[in-house]
Amino acid sequence: MKMKDLLLRLVLAACVAGTGWVHTDLYLNGYRSIHVIGPSFLLTGAGSFAVAVLLIFSNSPVLRLLAAGLAAGALFGFTLSRTVGFFGFTETGLNPAPQALLSLLFEVGALALVAVSFVPVMMKARTTSVVAR
Amino acid sequence: MTDAQTNDPHGMTRRQLLRHTAWFGSAVVLTVVGGEVISQIGNSNAAAPVPAANDAPALRFVQISDSHIGFNGPANMMVEQTFAEAIDMINALPYRPAFVMHTGDLTHLSTPDQFDQVKQMMSELKTSEVHTVPGEHDGVDDKGAKYRQFFGKGTQGAGWYSWDMAGVHFISLVNTLGLESMGHLGTDQLEWLRKDVAHLSSDTSIVVFSHIPLFAMYAKWGWSTDDSVQALSYLKRFASVTCLNGHVHQLFTKTEGNVTFFSATTTAYPLPKPGDGPAPTPVTLPAGKLHSALGVREVNYVKGNERLALKDVRLT
Repeated sequence: MKMKDLLLRLVLAACVAGTGWVHTDLYLNGYRSIHVIGPSFLLTGAGSFAVAVLLIFSNSPVLRLLAAGLAAGALFGFTLSRTVGFFGFTETGLNPAPQALLSLLFEVGALALVAVSFVPVMMKARTTSVVAR
Repeated sequence: MTDAQTNDPHGMTRRQLLRHTAWFGSAVVLTVVGGEVISQIGNSNAAAPVPAANDAPALRFVQISDSHIGFNGPANMMVEQTFAEAIDMINALPYRPAFVMHTGDLTHLSTPDQFDQVKQMMSELKTSEVHTVPGEHDGVDDKGAKYRQFFGKGTQGAGWYSWDMAGVHFISLVNTLGLESMGHLGTDQLEWLRKDVAHLSSDTSIVVFSHIPLFAMYAKWGWSTDDSVQALSYLKRFASVTCLNGHVHQLFTKTEGNVTFFSATTTAYPLPKPGDGPAPTPVTLPAGKLHSALGVREVNYVKGNERLALKDVRLT
């Protein structure tokens, strides 16, 4: 395995674990009481930790897609909570600080890394289809 | 199709499919296990007392909230008794709190009899000082006039005031009397607050009491204060700001920058979790479960520690 791939995977695992840490911290420090928000933070926290641990051992595309799904879901919830509300829950700006900003950075980073990790696969697929034609 | 290979060059082998399924399954299993562990930690944190600071506290006080004296409904037919139990609990503490703060909704309908009763009951507290802020139930028909007759001595405006103790600056705000859809402080009180903290050094610990949360706990139900951002902007320069409120009848914690918010539970009856149901109406718990939703809060302040140590104790 290439060193570059391993490094990319470990940084991705760190970003996903970061998202998990932020959501777990907020869950334990009050958010667990909020209807729907509490369970969704618990799911994001536990799911992120699980995927982060497994990413250390495998570069499976399933795990990378799960990482992207968790990050995208968290970003979607974040956006809703700052705009139309997420199940009635609203927050403003980058509050709570610094968790909101950290979470954003981890999630955007995770999405970018997953995208980068799929670039070689997509290039290979394109080459194969061109040759087949 | 063989076991090893499909005809489609873009397809996957059965072995690959099994491997993907195994990783997905592992992620699901780990998520369930992790979720259970985190959930258990959350539950144990809620039940266990906050670890005491190593140093002896410079100040200890108690917060009680939402006694709703005069309420009579299936959620709690004996609010006077549960409030008396809370008072007994405070009086049984192994130390004498520097003061007891009631963060509002002392009464349910703000009648003179209810104010008289709650004042008499609170006079039994074994403490040097009793402080209060009004809840919206304390100004039902008169914008807090009766509340101020009973509890307004030494306050300004609609009942706001501040005091210093053990190096901590305490501020009692009134965000219930201009109540429409949510809490409101108003320009007079905001200007008073600006001046009140202007002379303080930035390393002063600040504790703010209000009835309605000063953060957006659940704006849809009015569990927020519309002009709190301006109030909090005056407190930004302080290293430690702790906001303690009532109103929501349940424990909740949130940190925003240098400010930590703590919502307290009630001595009367629980309300639903934010968004759980159409409106925050009293929740009737199964027989024998009510006391576990009620309680009081002990607060320790240790000089040099930025954060106050809170211990929420259930009514027994």
